[in-house]
Amino acid sequence: MDGIASYQRFPTVKIRELKDDYAKFELRNTDASIANALRRVMISEVPTVAIDLVEIEINSTVLNDEFLAHRLGLVPLTSERAMSMRFSRDCDACDGDGQCEFCSVEFHLRAKCIGDQTLDVTSKDLYSSDHTVVPVDFSDASGYENSEQRGIIIVKLRRGQELKLRAIARKGIGKDHAKWSPAATVTFMYEPAIHINQEMMESLTLDEKQSFVDSSPTKVFEIDDETHQVKIVDSEAYAYDEEVLKKAEAMGKPGLVEIYAKEDSFIFTVESTGAVKASQLVLNAIDILKQKLDAVRLSEDTVEADDQFGELGAHMRGG
Amino acid sequence: MVAKENEQDVGIDKQFLAAPVKSAVDKFQLLPEFLKVRGLVKQHLDSFNYFVRTGMKNIVRANKEIRSTVDKNVYLRYKSVRIGEPSVVVNSVMDQLSPHRCRLSDITYAAPIYVDIEYVTESNGKKSTATKSDVIIGKMPIMLRSCCCLLYGKDEEELARLGECPLDPGGYFIVKGTEKVILIQEQLSKNRIIIDTDKKGCVQASVMSSTEARKSKTVIVMEKEKIYLSLNQFEKKVPIMAVMKAMGMESDQEVVQMLGRDPRYGALLLPSIEECASHHVYTQQEALEFLEGKVAKSRFYSASVEKEGRAMVILRDVFVANIPVRENNFRLKCMYVAVMLRRMMEAIINKDAMDDKDYVGNKRLELSGQLLSLLFEDLFKTLNEEAVKEVDAFLNKPSRSRFDFSTYITRGRITVGLERALSTGNWDVKRFRMNRKGMTQVVARLSFIGTLGMMTRIQPQFEKSRKVSGPRALQPSQWGMLCPCDTPEGEACGLVKNLALMTHVTTDQEEGPIISLCYCLGVEDLELLSGEELHAPNSYLIILNGLILGKHRRPKQFAQAMRKLRRAGKIGEFISIFVNEKQHCLYIASDGGRVCRPLVIADRGVSRIKEHHMKELKDGMRNFDSFLREGLIEYLDVNEENNALIALYEGEATIDTTHIEIEPFTILGVCAGLIPFPHHNQSPRNTYQCAMGKQAMGNIAYNQLCRMDTLIYLLVYPQRPLLTTRTIELVGYDKLGAGQNATVAVMSYSGYDIEDAIVMNKSSLDRGFGRCIVMKKLAAVHQKYANNTSDRIIRPQRDGRNAEKMQILDEDGLAAPGEIIRPQDVYIYKQSPIDTKNTISGTVPESFYKDSWQTYKGPEGETAVVDRVALSTDRNDNMSITFMIRHTRRPEVGDKFSSRHGQKGVCGTIVQQEDFPFSERGICPDLIMNPHGFPSRMTVGKMIELLGGKAGVSCGRFHYGSAFGEPSGHADKVEVISETLVKHGFSYTGKDFIYSGITGMPLQAYIFMGPIYYQKLKHMVLDKMHARGSGPKVMMTRQPTEGRSRNGGLRVGEMERDCLIAYGASMLIYERLMISSDPFEVQVCRKCGLLGYYNSKLKAAICSTCKDGEKISTLKLPYACKLLFQELQSMNIVPRLQLTEA
Repeated sequence: MDGIASYQRFPTVKIRELKDDYAKFELRNTDASIANALRRVMISEVPTVAIDLVEIEINSTVLNDEFLAHRLGLVPLTSERAMSMRFSRDCDACDGDGQCEFCSVEFHLRAKCIGDQTLDVTSKDLYSSDHTVVPVDFSDASGYENSEQRGIIIVKLRRGQELKLRAIARKGIGKDHAKWSPAATVTFMYEPAIHINQEMMESLTLDEKQSFVDSSPTKVFEIDDETHQVKIVDSEAYAYDEEVLKKAEAMGKPGLVEIYAKEDSFIFTVESTGAVKASQLVLNAIDILKQKLDAVRLSEDTVEADDQFGELGAHMRGG
Repeated sequence: MVAKENEQDVGIDKQFLAAPVKSAVDKFQLLPEFLKVRGLVKQHLDSFNYFVRTGMKNIVRANKEIRSTVDKNVYLRYKSVRIGEPSVVVNSVMDQLSPHRCRLSDITYAAPIYVDIEYVTESNGKKSTATKSDVIIGKMPIMLRSCCCLLYGKDEEELARLGECPLDPGGYFIVKGTEKVILIQEQLSKNRIIIDTDKKGCVQASVMSSTEARKSKTVIVMEKEKIYLSLNQFEKKVPIMAVMKAMGMESDQEVVQMLGRDPRYGALLLPSIEECASHHVYTQQEALEFLEGKVAKSRFYSASVEKEGRAMVILRDVFVANIPVRENNFRLKCMYVAVMLRRMMEAIINKDAMDDKDYVGNKRLELSGQLLSLLFEDLFKTLNEEAVKEVDAFLNKPSRSRFDFSTYITRGRITVGLERALSTGNWDVKRFRMNRKGMTQVVARLSFIGTLGMMTRIQPQFEKSRKVSGPRALQPSQWGMLCPCDTPEGEACGLVKNLALMTHVTTDQEEGPIISLCYCLGVEDLELLSGEELHAPNSYLIILNGLILGKHRRPKQFAQAMRKLRRAGKIGEFISIFVNEKQHCLYIASDGGRVCRPLVIADRGVSRIKEHHMKELKDGMRNFDSFLREGLIEYLDVNEENNALIALYEGEATIDTTHIEIEPFTILGVCAGLIPFPHHNQSPRNTYQCAMGKQAMGNIAYNQLCRMDTLIYLLVYPQRPLLTTRTIELVGYDKLGAGQNATVAVMSYSGYDIEDAIVMNKSSLDRGFGRCIVMKKLAAVHQKYANNTSDRIIRPQRDGRNAEKMQILDEDGLAAPGEIIRPQDVYIYKQSPIDTKNTISGTVPESFYKDSWQTYKGPEGETAVVDRVALSTDRNDNMSITFMIRHTRRPEVGDKFSSRHGQKGVCGTIVQQEDFPFSERGICPDLIMNPHGFPSRMTVGKMIELLGGKAGVSCGRFHYGSAFGEPSGHADKVEVISETLVKHGFSYTGKDFIYSGITGMPLQAYIFMGPIYYQKLKHMVLDKMHARGSGPKVMMTRQPTEGRSRNGGLRVGEMERDCLIAYGASMLIYERLMISSDPFEVQVCRKCGLLGYYNSKLKAAICSTCKDGEKISTLKLPYACKLLFQELQSMNIVPRLQLTEA
């Protein structure tokens, strides 16, 4: 790499908002490939634990076995430990059986309705053999106790119906099945840069300004109550819909505002399913991304690299 | 709301008068009320109820007495008839039947027909009369939800207890466990004069007469300016004037008078009069003698007929049989013929007066009640005839002991006859010369909508092969009566129709009271009129069900009076009064099978339904019947609609308006009612959707998991459409949906989306989108044999060769519910005796039984689950074991999906979520549809559905898209939807700014994205994919078998062969047609050219004809070719092969 100009950049991250299951941050000084790689890894390659094998002992509910198994699989489980767990396919301890403590967690569910009222079987009824891997608790941390909020409903039972099963949760990634994806929503947008041509703006009447402001479906602009100037309230609310540009053109004032996307800064929104904390999700994703890059770097100076990556390998070695 | 304000304004001042138009009353609420009262399949139920309550009683009353022909004193008299509760006799105990039990255990849902009788018994030579009540003469299959059904009047909870789905419409029968509908049959109306042209273009007037006693067709045709009568009973056409004279109309002048004063009519009749004179027919006697010579000879006539004169009898009983002749008074018939002639001549003078056979008003729908009553009448008469025959035989026997007439009528003939007709669909009624096939169909339980659609289907009378466009075309008169969209594609297109949402089909109503009422209202009796008066100007003929009652001088007032009486409920609500000004006729119809629909009555353009009526309806103080009773609403049939001026909306009413539509979307039927914004779509797209809605998977019924149908398709997570219509709510599609709301992005992606293919998001599929359950029924019978042996089901082998195949069997030898079943697994370990003919004595050895287990044959590599196992007894008292096998499938490449706009497509590829495009809100579509699907299809409704759906999910309100619903508020307007979208931060166009999931860069275009309701159709690759290398061959030809089910080969057909020839790929043809098919080596004798054989003992080839092995050559032939030679030889054709050196 010596002697060749480095393209290395130093991305920065600024966290805007951070909750357990929600994160919003800025990623600057990098380009779309990195941002997108991060997003893709978060969706499909950050491992979590999810129920993968269900052994049904008694099922007299209205839903059939596969139906229940599918529903159980989609229940998010707390997976902080997932990064350190083994994939059951390459677990030495159990020869890939996926039944040992290193690669699996056992759950039990047992419910029977004896009353006249419908009984809801929810994720709370799943008993885990490992206290670190439990169904995600959605009850509001803010304090108010909602008795109706009893987790994710799996099935409803009427009098006499019974459900008894054993389930095994395993580590997996979202690429294999969406149930292992820790991300509910991962998205980013280019940060918009908006410039109002205040001089031109002043040539508008107040009504015209108002109609200009109203032309945006999202609340981007606002008229200052005192100065009657159009100002930007929330540039990120701008959805690249170009409505204001069209409006400006229709008003005969092209160039009233200029909007372009900053191609090196991104605003990320990450919502987690609850399996991993949103912040952890991002960190895990970065780790995995690094590991993936390591895999490339390891083969950097081997001869096979050329066969494996062809021109790309040569390029990476600076050729 | 606006109307309310207006009402308050009334008190204030003239402002109210200045207000532009009074806002319309929302009459939609009437619809649910209508459906509550009438139901979706009310036409079937009404018809069946009429049959049970009235029709059957009439039939029994008409044939109430049977007498022995040997002893006239021996008789049996039916006093009454009625139908009991559906029941079955088990071990001689009457057991109540529920429909669901019938479905599960393959029995017929039927109720006993009870009669009360008075009859003669004889014991020890002494005759006495006795009475007996509740004698069962047979069993009547019961239509579900009819008045005889167990489910009649039950509420939802009671229905649930009976295992019945409350949304199931009923209207079908259960025969031997299968659900059968009698399709509505379309026919030309009976007893009406129809003027049209025959094949040669001659004008003709025809009447299909149909009375209880006789059915006949009378045709009067004008040929070479002369008018003839053509009747089957006459060998040739006979001059009409001779017929008139034979009926006593001897004076030519009177005939001309009857046609009317206009000289044109007289002129048209002149050639016929002259012809009659040329035959020297002047008097009635001469005419009858003349006709006698024309009667078809082959027929057999009884002595009484011979005495009276055959021509006379034909004229009286066959010729326009619907006009009664009392005491040989032919005057009515003459008048009728005169009217026919006049109508014909009108049509000759003015071509517009021709009748249209395709006009809906000229058609009658035959429903299950009518069809069953025909069948019942025939069976009942046959039963009586046979009883008489048996009684006669018994009475003729010299030594007889006890005699009891009542024992002869309890045979199973009626039961068997009805059951057979329903299960085969063949109506073979010799008595009425009726021989129709395919009258019943198995209820399609593929989707809820398919079931409903079946109940409203109308079967055509014409054969499908006819290449005429007339009957297939959309008729303007079917507006509001028959759905304009719902018809199949292909050969039955336009012939098979469906009823619209509000259509009602009438049942027969008694004529007697109407006739007397007409005379009371000033109708002059026809018999009292002179010929001249018949067509006097300013007076109208009054025709009731094709029978001329007389004439009226003030027809308008008469019609007004009749209608008033109808609105007041004094005469039946379905009686139609139609003034035909062109024909100077007033038609009153009370016959069954007319289609009609309710309309709001308006007085001088002002609707009779006011806001307060609707409020009362809402408060439950009113129902649909009270609207009808109070004359706010009435039923109009197709003919009477011609006398009405119907406004679509209240606001559009003018002073002449007589009626106002209840809701415009009711012109569509059930299937078309599912489509949102159908009025924005190109018409054929709606038709396609009507066909596809029936193939969509979803929920079938609330009891779907308790049913044991041969094949059930279910969706794992069915949804209610985000964009609904009023029809959807009315029929219950929102409760039993068949589809899911998918977020669709309209863009091109990956190239795997060409030709309507769709790209699907793998994560969506993981989460359950399009996941479906396929349940199949497998059955096995535990057979008993004649020699007292029977099959046995035994304990499975737990080790040994077959242990692996028997893993899923329980100890009782049957597969256990919940077990995972793979192909080749045994699901019942059954053994059958080797010998089932000869009786065996003593203990049977183990070797007496051979294995006859049954194995599951499903798609290789897929596993299914045993869902349920049911044991029941079949008709032959054998135990039958039924297994339901469940297979859950997730969508795969090649599965078929469709939106509700006739836009079907297969899944082209499945893509990871991270590769899917996303918006900055994080919205990621479930599927991607190619934009090329839009321009040529012009399904604008789909785009509006997307917009509406998107607005719906943003604001949390279900949006509506009923047909033509924008003005009445049953469909959301695009402007309003756009406003909602903007309010929630979307573009008003419904387009979003999207990033590519692969590169992370924004896409160059805005993408139209939002939720659309998608249906998964039953066609799935798993059931269709097929390929084979070598495999089974047909024994006879040694060629590969045909068809997927037999693991058959793929045929290189004629066209493929032609391609190969054209290309010159001779070796490929050789390989495909011979090597890979049926190669065979033959020995050919060069001397005689016939086939020889290879004698393996002598190790030499020999020609069996020449008895010589000298000149033999071997060559390869297709085995089929060798077979052909041999077959030819067997019929004395000798194919000889001449070989040359190659």
